[in-house]
Amino acid sequence: MQTADFTALTPLLLLAAAIAAVMLQIALKRSHILTIVLTLAGLIAAMLGVLAVGDMPARQVTPLVTMDRLAFFFIGLILTATAATALLGCRYWEHAVGQCEEYYLLLLVAALGACVLAAAHHFAAFFIGLEILSISLFTLMAFARRRMASVEAGLKYLVLAGISSAFLLFGIALIYADVGSLAFPIWTARLQAAGETVSPLLLIGMGMTVIGVGFKLALVPFHMWTADIYQGAPAPTTAFVATVSKSAMVALLLRLFAPVDFTAEPALFWTLAILAFASMIVGNILALRQDSVKRILAYSSIAHMGYLLVAFLSGGPAAIAATVFYITAYTITVLGAFGVVTVLSRTDADADSMSDFQGLFFSHPWLAGVFMAMLLSLAGIPLTAGFIGKFYAITAGAQGGIWWLIITLVLTSAASLFYYLRIVVAMFSPPLENKTQPPAAGISYSGGLVLTVMTVLLIWVGSAPGPLIDLIGRITQ
Amino acid sequence: MTLYSLLFYLLAIIILASTVMAVTRRNLVHAIIYLVVSFFGSAMLFYLLGAPFLAAIEVIIYAGAIMILFLFIVMMIDVDRHKERLFPIRQCLPAIIFGLVYAAVGLMVTFGHSGSKASMPIAVATPNAFGRFVFEHHWLAVEIVSLLLLVALIGALYLGRLKIEKSAAAGKETP
Amino acid sequence: MNVPLTHLLTLAGGLFFIGIWCAVTRRNLIMVMLGIEIMLNAAALAFVGASLRWQQMEGQAVALFVLAIAAAEVSVGLALIICIYRRYRTLDPAKVQ
Repeated sequence: MQTADFTALTPLLLLAAAIAAVMLQIALKRSHILTIVLTLAGLIAAMLGVLAVGDMPARQVTPLVTMDRLAFFFIGLILTATAATALLGCRYWEHAVGQCEEYYLLLLVAALGACVLAAAHHFAAFFIGLEILSISLFTLMAFARRRMASVEAGLKYLVLAGISSAFLLFGIALIYADVGSLAFPIWTARLQAAGETVSPLLLIGMGMTVIGVGFKLALVPFHMWTADIYQGAPAPTTAFVATVSKSAMVALLLRLFAPVDFTAEPALFWTLAILAFASMIVGNILALRQDSVKRILAYSSIAHMGYLLVAFLSGGPAAIAATVFYITAYTITVLGAFGVVTVLSRTDADADSMSDFQGLFFSHPWLAGVFMAMLLSLAGIPLTAGFIGKFYAITAGAQGGIWWLIITLVLTSAASLFYYLRIVVAMFSPPLENKTQPPAAGISYSGGLVLTVMTVLLIWVGSAPGPLIDLIGRITQ
Repeated sequence: MTLYSLLFYLLAIIILASTVMAVTRRNLVHAIIYLVVSFFGSAMLFYLLGAPFLAAIEVIIYAGAIMILFLFIVMMIDVDRHKERLFPIRQCLPAIIFGLVYAAVGLMVTFGHSGSKASMPIAVATPNAFGRFVFEHHWLAVEIVSLLLLVALIGALYLGRLKIEKSAAAGKETP
Repeated sequence: MNVPLTHLLTLAGGLFFIGIWCAVTRRNLIMVMLGIEIMLNAAALAFVGASLRWQQMEGQAVALFVLAIAAAEVSVGLALIICIYRRYRTLDPAKVQ
């Protein structure tokens, strides 16, 4: 325990301090505005902490976490997404439930869990971070207690996340029984040394770990929860699940499997490749048949995690850079898309069906424009962040020579254009006569701020990705 | 066969039998009591495996706190206990297939793995040494787990709160 | 302890299987939570056994965290179940979803 340890942990310590401050504030006096201000102040302080210590050499603090540049980058991403969620939630919760200050508290704790996950270097940190994240997540999902769908989403996530994390834990126990250490580097070294003759114990342990990771990333066939939960959970929570939880798991995926040489481990490669392939195909096919915007976004997120795995599986340093870029672009886009959904939501239910979006262009041209930009980015149209992300993924895949996955990626993203365009067409068709549009005054400054920032980022990254690519290059070298 | 291994197999049988009894009970209270027996068995096994501190914690937290919490809930809500059909066929089929695969894999591990066939040595981690180890090497984990307990507290408080919705809703509608 | 690790892992695996059987087939939310608890306990048992095999305390430390996690999960889970029960007057997951 030295000063340097604490310096390296600065962002996490600031976040923990923010949690304590918000909790005390709620205990002393309930005030929505004050809670939001404190939450944002804590998040900004933690972000400044990331900026201050982000360039320091990597430091391992206890066997559990290593604070290196990759960890700091992901922590920055997680904090930004959390701040955006908090801002989006501000107007939303004011109307939806009576007392909602706990939402921000849970959000901060969930962000802390995600940060631990992003910096994990040890299986203990992995599952502790994961459990903090999932326990706060199912409370966040059930937070709108008056809505049946919200409580049901929380219940579903509770049961499925409980089972999947038990699988993960048992897998870790088997790995530990075989390897004799819980640290990631020793595990990967052991895997490399074993080559193709991996002991069955390690193999089963690894399989169970993949189930746990696959569940959190919602890869096919562990995707059953996604659509119902995306649809049922309150829109800000959905934005949080889709961005923070996924980017933390991607960071973990990079730490677990990136040092492994896939050519020496065909079993692992084929497992992940089949998951990626199935996710791309099934996610896109299921999305084609949906009428609910939130469900479409849910299935498209499954497909996107498949695309991300293509980048990841290509192997080598380009793979890591492409994966990090992809998840960054995806986070920006999804925050924007769910931001629009949140802003349009009414007090009793979220904006969800196609008819909620019909004629949006005529009532809120600006919102329709933002949503269109986000959808086009998800589809991978040039000049958006999503295009650069996909381009990068394809380049990395071509370097790795995994052509069948690249072809699947290209074909399925072409098909995905159909359902994204369906929403766009609905927005530009004449409004329904008997439909009461959300009031014009319903768009809050905070929501508007988030949407503006995300749109600017989207187009900036899409048209001039140089700075971000440089940054990621420095992180992953 | 030494006394240790005899005790191990005896405990293993008790644990498995009581767990099977627990999951097949229709009456929830009976299920929980059987599970308490199973967790007591696990605690003794922990002791046998050289973890006396964990054995105590298992009794206090698992058999004590968690199971009593379950018991509270079962007694608090009056469950319609006779309506549940135990193990309907639709759900049993996948479970049986899964079970066969599982048994095959288990046998493969048990008999195909040479490294861990040797008998394990006898060792004890005294509570003192264990505490030192945890706070020297895993202090960060202890801090993070404390936050986990905090979030559990807040979550349970929020979800279990009874009246707040109605009063808040009433306050909003009639300002 | 004069038994091989594989016997202990077999016991833990058996417990884990009973747990998942319970969590998947029972139509009662409380039994589902109990099943998850059994699975977590099986994992803790495997950790302690592996810890003895390698003569380290790391596995025991992790088992300690598993207990904490089980307690946290079960408290929030039961609160959510009460929330569900107040609304639906049932604990059958099929009727809720």
